[in-house]
Amino acid sequence: MKLLKEPLVHFLGGALLVFGFFWATGTNRDPADYEITIGETDVERLKAGWAQNFRRAPTQDELDSLIDQEVKEEIYYREALRLGLDRNDPLIRRRLFTKMRFLDNQEGSEENPSDTILQKWLDDHPGKYALSSLYDLEQIYLGQSPGDSISETLDDLNQGTMEPDAIGQPISLPAQLRQTGAFEITRQFGEKFAAELSNIEIGQWQGPIQSGFGQHLVKITSKTPGKPPALDDVRQAVTNDWRAAQTASLEEAAFDKYSSQYEIKVTGRE
Amino acid sequence: MMRKALLLAVCSAALAVSGCSKDGGSNGSDANVTNTEYPEQVFWGDTHLHTDNSIDAFGFGTRLDAEAALRFAKGEEVTASKGAKAKLSRPLDFLVIADHSDAVGATKALYEAPRIALLGNDFLLRWYDMMHESDEGSLAVTAELIDGAAAGTLPEGLFDPEESADRIKSLWTEHGETLDEYNEPGKFTAFHGFEYTPMPGGDNLHRVVMFRDGGDKTSTMLPFASFDAGDPEQLWAYMAAYEKSTGGKVLAIPHNSNVSNGRMFAMNKLDGSPIDEAYIKTRALREPIVEVTQIKGDSESHPFLSPNDEFANYGDAGWDKCNLSCGKDMPPESYGGSYVREALKRGLEFTQKMGANPFKFGMIGSTDSHTSLATADENNFFGKHSGNEFNNKDRALAPQNLGTRKGRFGWNYLSSGYAAVWATSNTREAIFDAMMRREVYATTGPRMQVRFFGGFDFAEGDTGDLVKTGYSKGVPMGGDLTGGDGKAPTFLISALMDPESGNLDRIQVVKGWVDAGGKSQEKIYNVSWSSPDSRKVGADGKLAAVGNTVDLAKGTWENNIGAPELVTWWQDPDFDAKQNAFYYVRVLEIPTPTWPVYDALKFGLTLPDDVIKIQQERAYSSPIWYTPAATTS
Repeated sequence: MKLLKEPLVHFLGGALLVFGFFWATGTNRDPADYEITIGETDVERLKAGWAQNFRRAPTQDELDSLIDQEVKEEIYYREALRLGLDRNDPLIRRRLFTKMRFLDNQEGSEENPSDTILQKWLDDHPGKYALSSLYDLEQIYLGQSPGDSISETLDDLNQGTMEPDAIGQPISLPAQLRQTGAFEITRQFGEKFAAELSNIEIGQWQGPIQSGFGQHLVKITSKTPGKPPALDDVRQAVTNDWRAAQTASLEEAAFDKYSSQYEIKVTGRE
Repeated sequence: MMRKALLLAVCSAALAVSGCSKDGGSNGSDANVTNTEYPEQVFWGDTHLHTDNSIDAFGFGTRLDAEAALRFAKGEEVTASKGAKAKLSRPLDFLVIADHSDAVGATKALYEAPRIALLGNDFLLRWYDMMHESDEGSLAVTAELIDGAAAGTLPEGLFDPEESADRIKSLWTEHGETLDEYNEPGKFTAFHGFEYTPMPGGDNLHRVVMFRDGGDKTSTMLPFASFDAGDPEQLWAYMAAYEKSTGGKVLAIPHNSNVSNGRMFAMNKLDGSPIDEAYIKTRALREPIVEVTQIKGDSESHPFLSPNDEFANYGDAGWDKCNLSCGKDMPPESYGGSYVREALKRGLEFTQKMGANPFKFGMIGSTDSHTSLATADENNFFGKHSGNEFNNKDRALAPQNLGTRKGRFGWNYLSSGYAAVWATSNTREAIFDAMMRREVYATTGPRMQVRFFGGFDFAEGDTGDLVKTGYSKGVPMGGDLTGGDGKAPTFLISALMDPESGNLDRIQVVKGWVDAGGKSQEKIYNVSWSSPDSRKVGADGKLAAVGNTVDLAKGTWENNIGAPELVTWWQDPDFDAKQNAFYYVRVLEIPTPTWPVYDALKFGLTLPDDVIKIQQERAYSSPIWYTPAATTS
């Protein structure tokens, strides 16, 4: 696969492609050339095109006029190139653009990434794979429009003079969570609630904390901080992400390869 | 037969070098994940997503592949085909990429082919040039393709499956490898699947086909094309052959019955002959669930069929006049075979007459997005196809009909829906098995949690420990009740709001039954609602509306009406032990804005009066069936 990355191979491959094109079309379209040859392959192609439309072979007269048309088209084509009419034509421009981009996308990263590469990726993106903090917590659901005596309630709860059951509104959310990560908490309580947890002191009833359901009082009884995972635990996810990033950067590199040779000036842009 | 033999040969040859014997995924297997004792969690997914491998999706401009689709579903940000950044507010738990099996990957292959390869085929060359010329050209090609397929006017041999078998074989195998790489048992489930897309005369008979297995099994067969066979019975035969040859499992999910012109749930087979016992058995086995709500409308109910249901018209506008291709008008008399509630009722009539039910299915929602982006949130909607993505300001009001330019406008498309599955773990096995037992429900996008249990012995106080009691003394949604010694069935029902969406208005039970004359009937019961002190059921049997807090000028609503949760016990007050019946739950949210409202605010549009701007999003549970002891279901 290394071979595929050699620029020389690309060059030769490209040359072969161009040669192949001329060979296959048989039209030998060189703008500098004033010789036009309609060979056997051209005639066959014209006949096939006719048969496609009319479900029969062309008569000799029909074939002659097809050939005349082909010659005429070729002459106009060459003259148009000489006049530069292919330039600034949005359709031609667009077609060449997609052709070029297609050629570039054919190069890809084939190799399987080594552990070193993957470990480096993991180290470079710690937040993405970190195992989330695990919480033990209790929560009391106060409903969507609780009364305004919340600070007294908190005091009573923290002093143990009030039981959570006494004020909780019924809802089928767990009153207690054990060793639960942020992902699970977000799933059950929504993003707002999960985000608030990192701001809460441990060991005391706190609140009110807003969730999509309404308001809650929360007591975090323990919090085990998250840690970076071992590569083996997240190997596939890391491989997938590395590969996706690799594809994106190859595309970018292919473009950069050309764009670096250009000086680009845009009015109004520094 | 020939083709299958050929495929097996290809696979055994390839085995020596690579792929075919790879196990279900390199991310570990389902067996390493602990299943809970009973389904404790609801898992959210989309079973119906198209990527650039679907001929129409690519033609419409989608350039995102399966990998991008999987990354997006897992919660990653991706750049949509038309340039907007796209990210779900919350990840999904599972995804079925269901690209059209007909000529899968063909437009992409055509587009990427060197033009020289097409010289001599004027038909394809013309399409090739149109696709390359402009987005409009590409759309026109896609329209011609769909219209041509519906009308049967595509040239014979175009996209011939035999001819393209090699291309499809390698695409399918490679696609399967990507799915296995992204399948993470316990965290995210990537299912193998495809869409089978027959549409005789433009009548939609489409099915999503999804597998329980990994690439080791699915790659031994090709996705079944409808160019081969437009009759679903042949699809079921393909499914049986797959299970027999691989030991794997596969199910099919009919969808868009609303544009089937009455043919999805017809009282006859496709060829017009009467439905017999073998057909009933096969259909019930192969199609345990249907997709009841999605982008191209909602198929639960229609006011013509349910004149007493004031909520029956949701998602019907624009979809009830003509069939999928809009080449044929659909008279209201055809609706019976097009809407799911009616199909469930027809199923009871079959049970009564023949002792078995071909339409005994559960309900899910899914997107049918053709953008590789499984979006169903009103304020984050990426449209039916890439021509109508997030940043297209004309998409809400532009006429959308392929070819015919009549009937449907952008705003008729729904930002809907998702599939909710009560499973014992987030794995291919557990989620698939839950679908087989129909322990699933549909939503139009919001992720409300709905529980529904039926039994003969639930007491009012059982709502306290609803889930455990539900499982120990009854059956969950999708289940069967029989016997009961004449006692009226009781139900435990709860609905918890989506914490990132609207409060709940009400829970309804929809009952269908067959009367003494053998005719099916329906009735809707309001069983639990918010503010019961102030909202009463009127003389007409209708419950007072929940109200409306939507501010169209801001695109907001307030959760100061409705309830965060509704829980209830209910017993059928009109029960007759001799009558076959089904019960399913419909949960309504309070009114919220539709996606065109957000578009109007973003782009400064003025929406005409007929555009639906406010809706009540909803969930539909799978039914629980009651069968008198003497007959079987």
